[in-house]
Amino acid sequence: MDFGFSLSPSSAIDLDKVDLSLYRRLEQTVPDIRSCIACGSCSATCMAADYSGMSVRKLILNLQRGADVKKMLSCCMLCGKCTMVCPRGINTRKLILDVCRYYSDNKL
Amino acid sequence: MKESVVIIGGGIAGLEAASQLLALGLSPVIVEKSDHLGGHVAEWYRLFPDLSPAQDLVTHLVSSTSGARIYLETEISRINALKDGYSATLNNGDVLFCKAVLVCTGFHLFDAAKKEEYGYGIYNSVITNRDLEHWFGGLEDARIPDNPRAVGFVHCVGSRDVKAGNTQCSKVCCMTAIKQAIEMKEKFPEAEVYCFYMDLRLFGKKYEDFYISAQRDYGIHFIRGRVSEVSEDIDGRLLVKAEDTLSGKPLKVRLDLLVLMAGMVCSPQTGRIASMVRAEVDDDGFLRSRDNIYSIVESGRKGIFFAGACTGTKTIPETVAEARAAALSAFRYIKEKA
Amino acid sequence: MRERIPSGFDPFVLPFLIGIGFVLLYCLLAAMRVLWQCPREDRRRFFLSLITPTTALRNLWDIFANCLIHVKLWKRNKLLGFMHSSIAFGWFMIILLGHLEVFLFVPHRLNLFYYPIFFNYFVAETDTSLRGAFLFFLMDFFLLLILIGIALAIIKRVRSRLFGMRRTTRLSFLDTVGLYSLWLIFPLRLLAESFTASISGGSFLVKPLNWLLEAVLGSQFLLNPANNLPTWWAYSIVLGIFMVVLPFTRYMHIPTEMMLIPMRNAGLRIRHARRGYALLEVYSCPGCGVCIDACPMSVKKANIKDCTVYLNRQIRRGNERRIEEISDKCLLCGKCTEVCQVGVEGPALRIFQRARRQYAVNPDYAAVNVAPPESAGKVLYFGGCMTALTPSIGRSMESVLGKLGIDYTWMDRDGGICCGRPMLQAGRFPQAAEMVRKNTELIKASGADTLLLSCPICYKMFRDHYKLPGIRVVHHTQYFEELRRSGVLKLSKSDLCYAYHDPCELGRGCGVYEEPRTLLGSAAYIVEAEKNRGESICCGGSLGSLSLGFQQREAMTRRALENLTVAGPDAIATACPLCRSTFARYSSIPVRDIAEVVDLSL
Repeated sequence: MDFGFSLSPSSAIDLDKVDLSLYRRLEQTVPDIRSCIACGSCSATCMAADYSGMSVRKLILNLQRGADVKKMLSCCMLCGKCTMVCPRGINTRKLILDVCRYYSDNKL
Repeated sequence: MKESVVIIGGGIAGLEAASQLLALGLSPVIVEKSDHLGGHVAEWYRLFPDLSPAQDLVTHLVSSTSGARIYLETEISRINALKDGYSATLNNGDVLFCKAVLVCTGFHLFDAAKKEEYGYGIYNSVITNRDLEHWFGGLEDARIPDNPRAVGFVHCVGSRDVKAGNTQCSKVCCMTAIKQAIEMKEKFPEAEVYCFYMDLRLFGKKYEDFYISAQRDYGIHFIRGRVSEVSEDIDGRLLVKAEDTLSGKPLKVRLDLLVLMAGMVCSPQTGRIASMVRAEVDDDGFLRSRDNIYSIVESGRKGIFFAGACTGTKTIPETVAEARAAALSAFRYIKEKA
Repeated sequence: MRERIPSGFDPFVLPFLIGIGFVLLYCLLAAMRVLWQCPREDRRRFFLSLITPTTALRNLWDIFANCLIHVKLWKRNKLLGFMHSSIAFGWFMIILLGHLEVFLFVPHRLNLFYYPIFFNYFVAETDTSLRGAFLFFLMDFFLLLILIGIALAIIKRVRSRLFGMRRTTRLSFLDTVGLYSLWLIFPLRLLAESFTASISGGSFLVKPLNWLLEAVLGSQFLLNPANNLPTWWAYSIVLGIFMVVLPFTRYMHIPTEMMLIPMRNAGLRIRHARRGYALLEVYSCPGCGVCIDACPMSVKKANIKDCTVYLNRQIRRGNERRIEEISDKCLLCGKCTEVCQVGVEGPALRIFQRARRQYAVNPDYAAVNVAPPESAGKVLYFGGCMTALTPSIGRSMESVLGKLGIDYTWMDRDGGICCGRPMLQAGRFPQAAEMVRKNTELIKASGADTLLLSCPICYKMFRDHYKLPGIRVVHHTQYFEELRRSGVLKLSKSDLCYAYHDPCELGRGCGVYEEPRTLLGSAAYIVEAEKNRGESICCGGSLGSLSLGFQQREAMTRRALENLTVAGPDAIATACPLCRSTFARYSSIPVRDIAEVVDLSL
């Protein structure tokens, strides 16, 4: 049916509709991800941040908000600097590997 | 003879408690390990939120405890429980008999060199909040440039950080950073001043006003992101890296001075005293109160009382209020026993 | 000399025959499977090595020294070494002498497998003949040796500390069956031989026991087959049980190690976690548990079952969940391999196990483009990722190089590409190879002739996994020591006393133990840690572990610090930025990198 106008898609996050299956799975394998305080230390120290926008903080946030995480992972070198600086002691390397492992394009 | 109370620590908690105990007709004895009274506050220049001189507070407290016996540069070597009180043996050989012991051992300023990535002790122009306070108080400091173009403050150094061994918020650093930022801006109006914070925790009376003033009247930049790396460029300026988490982008800025807001951690003396009086210690290293709502100044043991930052991070008003409460609790305990 | 049984057969040998037949067939098939699983070039290499005289001789010597004498165990603990070699060598000699007896007295029976084993039942020989007495003496001597070994083994089960072991492995059910049958074999042999000793002869051990039995039971009782035959049955049955369970117990290490040694000498390496050569390492594990005490993770009881001995056990059982868990947890410090007497490479097994994992997202670094550093004919310094978080090391490196007037370029001062080692250790080989490729291009383009590293993790990677012809790859401890020897670097000795911590990747990883010590020794005094060099304890900060969280590592770091500070040093020196920052977190004394110590003394 054509009303003669179209609705632009909303850019708001609708938490009711967010697919959290990947996040839920990671909560099991890396429980520390719940304790992120979004301080940004990981992103600031990251060597891949300049190339692919890698940021563990954003990775966790995007997983919780249903946004894509694949692109930022394309340059991660697993060097461990983010693990070193995290004030909450999150095992970021395990998180990254598990996201790479359980990621699936059709979900999220 | 008046009943005596041994107060361990001559910081503001110990001093205020002693002054109240004197007024209540008891005989307090202060045992202080350093060579001066007033603790950390005596080393500070001005206090938030009124920018009042710290020395005024210390002088007032010292003068109001002139009736108390005070040991300086003295430590407790042993405390024994007696039938109706305690005996405390000092390292100079004196033995004090008392009805109650008041622990006011305070806190320890986090050693900023432990956060190596910030370069304290490595780079020339990285200092701590205490160093800056000393400089405000008139002490020379070669690390502070004559005419800085940009100054940064890093919040939460050694606070809320498992890697630093302290997961607690130090409560006072956010306000101290804003205070010192304002003071720096007053001294160097041309300089850009940045505060790197994780969360701003400004909960007390007048604190929010102070924050608004820092933003509106002084144009201080607040950047929500924890500094992760500091390096030096070829000109000797500091290159600070953080994430500007609000724009979601890595951020770097060149600074002439970086001030680390070293947090409050439990003092090693506290643990020693705790084992002497067999008081319980929380997993953060601070002393465990009987409960954290109604009986913060009471320990689980009879005749042992706490006041101030030995039970957790505190502001000065909280410490002073606790010292009074502890003095009153000790007084009632002694009177009820008699 | 006469044969007692003209047919040369008695049904009691059947359990033994079934056992040995089974175990030989099993081993043959297993060996063929391993060979089949090896890549063709490895197979070729292996067969070639077997016909190369020097390698063949080395194989024989290594098998003798390791499988029979257990030289490495002797070095670890004399009692432990004696226990193992008395059983292994003693048993070997009894088998050998048995064959010799058959060869000398009844050569026509050499075709019977069981004859050397049950010689004293089938053949009556008087011990008055010279060669009889001598052989009997030797037989009894080695039997006694074995029995002492077994007695020690029993004591070890109860008091393992006497043998230098704090913890031993928990046996599985079949291991227990194997263990008890092994323990029973030799006392039963002694019993069987002493029942028939008045007929078949014996020496100082068997004869007196025979007299004793005669005195108690009467000689007629002993000579009655209804009484002495059961003892031979028992001996044969226990032998049979041991051989039938052998492939499913830790005793499989006995035949496996004999194949592992020649294959290793041929230069074969692990290429797959669960096939070919790797299987030999897994089955060569005797389950002794020396790696448990050595493992830095074992300070926490919860981690004991994640040591290499249990990895081997789980791989044998095919327990995929546990294999994955154990593989991900390990710090890859390499200490288990260092102390292992058969040389099972725990870290390599784990890395190849990790490599079997499939990922849905695969980084490619297409977007990573770093401008090549300009360093023609000079020293190129690569600090690595960790040095960015330990600025004191970078500063000291700059300062020392500057003071010495060395022309250098700091390649990754403003960030660069990771050396690839953490990715390699995570088992993601294509990703690591891509980083290697990118860095190789950068380094080659720079025109440098020396690549200087202050991080042992990077050093190990550049040394072993990069091809940089014409460029010398050197760790800063080696580089500075060389400069000191040639007189360029002049150090003044301070009064400070350091304990030197051998970083895993530098010590066990690259074998660099001496240079750091001589260098440090000319700048300060050194005391050794309780466990040092090859046995130094990992700081706990290793990037090798994928699953160990921050809190789980604290106990390991504290244990390593305890080990380092036994001699009461003023400070700790190490040569790795990761060890440095890990120790600094909990140490009550200063922790410095050797670069800092050198800078202070320059």
